[in-house]
Amino acid sequence: MGFKGTVNTRIFMKHMAGIIIMTFVIFAPAVLYAEEKDPEKSVVQESAEEKGFDAGKVIIDHILDAYDWHLADYGDTHISIPLPVILMYEGQWHFFFSHKFDHGKSAYKGFRIASEGPMKGKIIRVLDDGITPDPHASFLLDISITKNVLSIFIACILLCWILLKVAKGFTHCGSRKAPSGLASFFEPLIMFVRDDIARSVIPEKDVYRFLPYLLSLFSFIFFNNLMGLVPFFPGGANVTGSISVTLTLAMFTFFTLHIFANKEYWKHIFNTPGVPILLKLPIPLMPAIEIIGVIIKPLILALRLFANITAGHMIILGFVSLIFVLGATGAAMGFAVSPLTVVFLIFMNFLELLVAFIQAYVFTYFSAIFFGMAVPEEHH
Amino acid sequence: MELLMPGIGLIFWMTLSFSLVLVILRKFAWKPILATIKEREDYIANSLRQGKRIQRELADLDATKEKLLAQAHEKAEEVVQKARQDGDQIIENARKQAAEDTNQLIETAKNSILAERKAAEREIRNQIVKLSVDMAQKVIKEEFADVDKKNKYVDKLLEEIQLN
Repeated sequence: MGFKGTVNTRIFMKHMAGIIIMTFVIFAPAVLYAEEKDPEKSVVQESAEEKGFDAGKVIIDHILDAYDWHLADYGDTHISIPLPVILMYEGQWHFFFSHKFDHGKSAYKGFRIASEGPMKGKIIRVLDDGITPDPHASFLLDISITKNVLSIFIACILLCWILLKVAKGFTHCGSRKAPSGLASFFEPLIMFVRDDIARSVIPEKDVYRFLPYLLSLFSFIFFNNLMGLVPFFPGGANVTGSISVTLTLAMFTFFTLHIFANKEYWKHIFNTPGVPILLKLPIPLMPAIEIIGVIIKPLILALRLFANITAGHMIILGFVSLIFVLGATGAAMGFAVSPLTVVFLIFMNFLELLVAFIQAYVFTYFSAIFFGMAVPEEHH
Repeated sequence: MELLMPGIGLIFWMTLSFSLVLVILRKFAWKPILATIKEREDYIANSLRQGKRIQRELADLDATKEKLLAQAHEKAEEVVQKARQDGDQIIENARKQAAEDTNQLIETAKNSILAERKAAEREIRNQIVKLSVDMAQKVIKEEFADVDKKNKYVDKLLEEIQLN
């Protein structure tokens, strides 16, 4: 029965992949067209065009970080949670809430959310007219609590709360009884990280040095991936699909690795064994390649997670947008296409649940592999 | 391109919160959880080992029991054998004793019978003598009337007795 089920699923997925690709071939030009038009728009034009549906803009807006947490639109009114903006400009701190920007339409205290240019979507210093960017602006430190930051806070608090409860469950049960409830749900995940990730690639004597970090990493990524799939507050932020977050996670892996790396690892970088001396001595070719490798490893980790999660969000948002894009050509069309789209959406959401787990696993597994490489057995 | 632009603020807050999460989870979640799991694994492994050991001991015990039982059996057999032998011996002795006693008894009886017979013979002889004398007396008394006739008879009687 189970075997038959998997075969059916496989056939289904095969067809699905074809259908999805087809949809995107048809759908992609619309997105591209929408994006091409973007830079030409002035603020005035934009508000005039808001009546029409711009799928590309909607998708990008949902994926990018924001200074307020957009909940819903009601007619022309945006319903959103204003978030605190924290800026430091020329030695002076500025605290205020983001509703002062009026969704990016106005400037406040000489700051404004850029609507175009390389800093698009970020806060920039503007001249007195409130629109033109200040060409002589000095460095602006922006540590606002944005949508992603708030989402991270919520995720961290929830994660700590859940896992402390799990820990309590474990200590409550003690070692003489099987865990029950929440703890029994988490035990397979913990065992998975310990046995299938850490133990499979890290030498046994070092496993417990890296295990807490790997477990935290796995649960943080997995939890945030899942939160990202919840379409409403407090989920829906694209935390693990944000390059800043994935880069930070990769940096944590990078530093953990180099804090615990042993002599053998450094020897391997600067004096790679088993390589002709000519590759090392007049021109340090091998060390250069090794050092590039050291930098590239975390970068790849960051990019992989970022790209996978962002792509997943894009596809889901694309399917949602499809209803409105086609609906714009006629209500009947919108209604006609929506059942099919909903089916795709459900399928994609299930796929994303899988991706949420797989990407958490991959990030943790590669981190573990790098750790395993950082603590090779000493050769005598 | 905005997608690929890392934001300082986000990195700052992310670093801060993730460090906190790492520290908190390491101390208050992973440590007790991993310790409990490890303890449980050790406990299970120990129990298994112990179970195996007990099994082995039980097997040993079984063997010992078997051996002891066999020994006991042997011993019992021996005891029974010996008892039987002893019994036989006793019976034999008793029989011998009884035979001896009987023989002795028979011997004594024989002797006493012999003595008895001798005494009886003597008695009988005395009796005969007495009777003879009595008879003689009577005969004499009678015969004295007819002396000649009777003398001859006496002589004949005496002769008879002497012959005996």
